[in-house]
Amino acid sequence: MTRLACPFCGPRELCEFEFHKTLPAAGSHGEFERTYLRVADPALSIEHWQHLAGCRAWLLVHRNPSTGAVFEVELQGGVAR
Amino acid sequence: MSAVSGSVRHYSALALLRARFAGPKYWRPLWTGRKLQPAYDVVVVGAGGHGLAIAFHLARDHGIKRVAVLEKRLVGYGNVGRNTTIVRSNYLLPENHYFYEDSLRRWETLSRDLNYNVMYSPRGVVDLALTDDAFPALARRGNAMRLAGIDAELLDLAALGRFAPELEPRRQRRFPIAGALLQRRGGTVRHDAVAWGYARAASALGVDIIEDCEVTGVRAAANAATGVETTRGYVRSERIVFATAGHTGMIGTMLGTPLPIETHLLQAMVSEPIKPLVNSVIVYVSPGHGETYICQSDRGGLVMGGHLDGFPSYTREGQWHRLEDVVQGAVELFPRIGSVKILRQWAGTNDMTMDGSPIMDRLRYDNVFVNAGWCYGGFKAIPASGAAFAKFVATGTAPDLIRAYRLSRFATGHMLDEPGQGPFPVRL
Repeated sequence: MTRLACPFCGPRELCEFEFHKTLPAAGSHGEFERTYLRVADPALSIEHWQHLAGCRAWLLVHRNPSTGAVFEVELQGGVAR
Repeated sequence: MSAVSGSVRHYSALALLRARFAGPKYWRPLWTGRKLQPAYDVVVVGAGGHGLAIAFHLARDHGIKRVAVLEKRLVGYGNVGRNTTIVRSNYLLPENHYFYEDSLRRWETLSRDLNYNVMYSPRGVVDLALTDDAFPALARRGNAMRLAGIDAELLDLAALGRFAPELEPRRQRRFPIAGALLQRRGGTVRHDAVAWGYARAASALGVDIIEDCEVTGVRAAANAATGVETTRGYVRSERIVFATAGHTGMIGTMLGTPLPIETHLLQAMVSEPIKPLVNSVIVYVSPGHGETYICQSDRGGLVMGGHLDGFPSYTREGQWHRLEDVVQGAVELFPRIGSVKILRQWAGTNDMTMDGSPIMDRLRYDNVFVNAGWCYGGFKAIPASGAAFAKFVATGTAPDLIRAYRLSRFATGHMLDEPGQGPFPVRL
């Protein structure tokens, strides 16, 4: 994994982006679970990232943390362009 | 009394002399290839530093005879063979500095305890302040250590110049050195020797070390675990210990217990060998390039590391831009190494907890124990972790030294947030 494809800017080097947080597992509703606990899935990780040194858009990145493959980069909340 | 007997040779000057005349066949394998048995008193999952140390102490201190260490790959394949070999106890929080001080004291005598030279080198760990406000933070940490009876010295530029003249403290730099915190007893230990030494000593005490044996599940009945499923079949066990640094999150998933852990990568690198230049371990945060720590191996290579790559990963592939940060930080401090070449680069997987401190507790069942969450500081903890955790597993009661590392602290709000960054595994 060396690049991410920003929906606005296209493929950019990874150092332009900042990882923020892993999405809580589906069904974890309590504040404690959402803040602290992680369900480790070696095949899929969905994460908040920001294109910090670019357009500063907030992104949802779907990745495989065992291979580095990126499945999808979408705008957080699906905001229209 | 030596820990080593039976199947392996006791190491001594006399043994060297004997081997000189007996030829290479005098030496025997460090740990013997034993067969996996159907049942054990304790199964330890993971033959890294912590797993092997726990098995060693279970056998030596608590007389537990049937102990197995199951390893998915090879002894020392994980982080015990991937770290930058630094040992120190210069922590701010009391729970941490007492624990790591216990560990540092054990490092001082470990070669004798294991009858294996782990090459403990108390060359001093120097934390540099490169900004004026970093200096009082170092003073605060040093004062906390001294209150606990741990050696710490705050150095001004003159004292730093005497201890580490290679740093040229008064040199004009973009970020001039403001001062330093020194722990003289800190230093380095030969990391592979730690894995080999513990494996050899544990094996000599009768511990079965089984490589190429992956644990794939835990079988349980009536609220207690009964054994582990492995790629070599089912193994019954009275107690199960997980010491699977870097992959403990997956153990949580396997047991249906999500943990406050994310797996992140940390890189390290070593340069081509050069003449002696760096005589201690230098640690600093450059305002321009982030964290760098640098020491020189006995072969002459500059061993360097820095901050985490910054996102969850199991790939063991480091990011180029993080390597650049580390190297730029090193060249900023030592401009003369600018033309030295990097020889090797590698990465390890780290259990990053939500407060930066380890987890040593039971997991889901009364007879399942987890020794995890060592973040990027697990190597220096090996001797204390092995002794204290073995006591926990053998007696069922956590010793005072590790009580603060219980899992429930995240729910009750008793976090040990050494870096002071809140509930995040990584802050860049």
